Amino acid sequence: MSRELQAATLAIQEMTALGAEESSARAMTSKKSELNAEGGKFTLLRTTLDHSLSLTALKGQKRGTVGSNSFEEEAVAAAAKDCVSSAEAGQADPAWEFAREGQKEVTRGDIEPDLDKLFFRTQELIETIHREYPKVILEQVIADHTMETGVYLNSHGVKYVTTAGRYGVSLMFSGHEGGKSSSFNGGGFVTDSLDKPFLDQASLRQNVKDAENQIHTVPVKGKFEGTVIFTPDCLGGMLGELISNFASDSVLLDGTSKWKDALNTRVADERITIRVAPHDARIVSGQTYTGEGFEAFDYTMIEKGVLKQFMLSAYAANKTGNRRAPNGSFALVMEPGETALEDLIKNTKKGLLVSRYSGGASGASGEFSGVAKNSFLIEDGKVGSAVSETMIAGNLADMLSRVEGISKETVEDGAMSLPWLAVGGITISGQ
Amino acid sequence: MISDIVSSLSGSFAPGAHSELRAQKSLDRRVVLLNGSLVGNTRQDSQGVSARVYQNGVYGFASAADLSAEAAKKALLTASQNAAFLNEKTNPGKGPLPQIMRGVLPAQKDFKDVEQKRYLDFVTAIDQYIVEKYPDLASRTIVATADSMEKQILTSDGYQAHTLAPRAYIYVMMSSQTRDGMPVEVFKPFGKSGTFEDNFTDPALLYGGIDQLYEHLMKKREGVFAEAGVKTVILSGELSGILAHEAVGHTVEGDLVLGGSVAGPNLNQMVASPLVSMTDFAHTAFGETAPLPVYVDDEGVLAEDAELIRNGKLVGYMLNRELGRHFNMQPRGNARAFAFNDEPLIRMRNTAIHAGPNKLADMIANTEDGYYLISTNNGQADTTGEFMFGVTVGYEIKNGKLGRGLFDTTISGVAFDMLKTVDMVSDTVTWGSSGFCGKKQPMPVGIGGPELRCKVMVGGK
Repeated sequence: MSRELQAATLAIQEMTALGAEESSARAMTSKKSELNAEGGKFTLLRTTLDHSLSLTALKGQKRGTVGSNSFEEEAVAAAAKDCVSSAEAGQADPAWEFAREGQKEVTRGDIEPDLDKLFFRTQELIETIHREYPKVILEQVIADHTMETGVYLNSHGVKYVTTAGRYGVSLMFSGHEGGKSSSFNGGGFVTDSLDKPFLDQASLRQNVKDAENQIHTVPVKGKFEGTVIFTPDCLGGMLGELISNFASDSVLLDGTSKWKDALNTRVADERITIRVAPHDARIVSGQTYTGEGFEAFDYTMIEKGVLKQFMLSAYAANKTGNRRAPNGSFALVMEPGETALEDLIKNTKKGLLVSRYSGGASGASGEFSGVAKNSFLIEDGKVGSAVSETMIAGNLADMLSRVEGISKETVEDGAMSLPWLAVGGITISGQ
Repeated sequence: MISDIVSSLSGSFAPGAHSELRAQKSLDRRVVLLNGSLVGNTRQDSQGVSARVYQNGVYGFASAADLSAEAAKKALLTASQNAAFLNEKTNPGKGPLPQIMRGVLPAQKDFKDVEQKRYLDFVTAIDQYIVEKYPDLASRTIVATADSMEKQILTSDGYQAHTLAPRAYIYVMMSSQTRDGMPVEVFKPFGKSGTFEDNFTDPALLYGGIDQLYEHLMKKREGVFAEAGVKTVILSGELSGILAHEAVGHTVEGDLVLGGSVAGPNLNQMVASPLVSMTDFAHTAFGETAPLPVYVDDEGVLAEDAELIRNGKLVGYMLNRELGRHFNMQPRGNARAFAFNDEPLIRMRNTAIHAGPNKLADMIANTEDGYYLISTNNGQADTTGEFMFGVTVGYEIKNGKLGRGLFDTTISGVAFDMLKTVDMVSDTVTWGSSGFCGKKQPMPVGIGGPELRCKVMVGGK
């Protein structure tokens, strides 16, 4: 029996003995090997060995949750006691739910890192950028391999055993010339293999290339309503804000979601279809089971503009009378369009190509306003200068209904698959 | 407190190598009441040891989730092997780090880790007060949170220390709707460093602040969208503090200077109005204990204040030992790690703009047309100093008087340009310490500042 299985089994036994009617235990071990470079030079090799034990107990419909990082028997027993005692202090709520069925064993990716090859690929990335994009300073590069192995058990007999290894790369950089610099930009991805050069994955090469073209900027003059083409990197963040404000647990629970009564109604342009698909072949950081122990399945959140499913836990679903989401991941896969990116740009009279958005949290209203970073002006169908001190404002809910086009190209970073999205009616303001 | 497992291990350090050992335990407690329902009730503990070894310009680091001398010795060995791997692959040939002061700090006092019921009872009392007094709210959320970091630090050539840093907060969020049905929200944190027992003795002590928050919400409900464009604004201490942290502080972190931040070419240049001075305080600020005091950092460097801007001139950076050597400056204790398995990074501690000569009331009375911006929900900044903050509470200023409330808006600018427009600075510094700074790892930080009158870009509708 593995240490993880031993710890989880003991925790369930202890919580049951202390009167928990239902309980779950997730015990994981993770090993990380991580290379760091600063200013384009290697600075650190870091290896970590961690454990995590996450326990949940229900007693009299009251719920407590405890986390620790020790598998020692004494520590597991103490965590179980703490968990049940936290539950006892809580409030009874019949909406809490654990899965009642589920058995799966999953192994994925390289379990052991190839450290020499990881170093080679990282060095190749740094040297290629230095050679091909000499105006770019690499502020930080992190390349790692993470292996996680563990078990989820609950008192209804649900059991998942998972082992997965994956590589991850993230970098931050900016362009510099003659005392001027671009805004910093970044990029990253997760992958199963080291076969392909890092710079040729996700949007890294495009972002690095753009940094050289973003050193010299012009501020946008005045204020106008125009089209914004969001890059896939930027679109991921905007969709995250949208889902968090309109379709997630907290806003459905507190009733502030503008979409609370919008299920099975049109919330977006009919060209918009968004799936949450951790099992999609393009997604590396998948999910086997949800936090409440349900086996994870892919689902469609918006189908041809119609809202089909909120991103809800079983608790929030029970509380609000909705259906729980079939998985708890954020693996967004958006259907591409039929227009080439080049044509999306050609069709834009006046607007911006926005690679990064720096804005305040938009809140329940969905109103957003923030700075268009690493962005270019588009005029009469052509990409022009990079812009500075330029703000964009609009409403997240309206945005999906004001779609002017969706690119047929997509970017896959192992966590999402997204196209470029052109949206009209955005307020663009400069000095 | 965790028992001492590192102080006797100096004999395990490889001769001549700069080495660090850290044993750490972190606690996190949280209770969340949403519209009266307990949606979060969690306790999280993590503990372990880590080692970092320096070799010729590169570091090796290793950690294990085990608080024992054996685990510490093994981590030291793995860290040495990691440093050797990188040294062999890259051959940086930088030689040893410059010497720092040695010493031993006495262990800080222990604290009691209270049961979950204590947090729950407190948030329930706050929730009852709100629901009874303000039944017309669309929603309310009360969060109680307490965290702490306990560290034993042993270094081959610096300070040895055993530190404890608890902090505890209550967050109150309220929402309502405008006449048109648009949701509006406000949010306020209460609390500071110290334990929950120290900071929250009686729920009634928070009622005044909650009443004030409700008044802001009601005015926001009847509010207007801010007009877009460059405007004269008075930033509250909360906003000037986040400006100090995000838009200036990050650009003067040595690693970001090395990465090409705007602070590189601006050292010893005027970057702000002469009314502006700014310091990253270690443990004592303006004669009082700083919000989140740091006495020694995770490289064993005795913590001192890092002066950043003096009367408008950029005079220094925040550094670790390696970049202290690179920039030929003294490291002052900014190298800090979040969890036991994290390596020290250059981090801010208590970063604040100093107070000035003006009274807030006079600043408002002297402003013909502008905005008074009070609360923020987030902020981001660039290595160019270009910043953006979300503003959640603000008011118009018309003819020297506060006017209508504002809906959520955003302000932006370039720090070293915007700070040159500062023409009034209030005489009172407001501190905040409830959030986390994000930079590879999270980190609790203190931020502070007085009210500043300046010009910024306001993003209206």
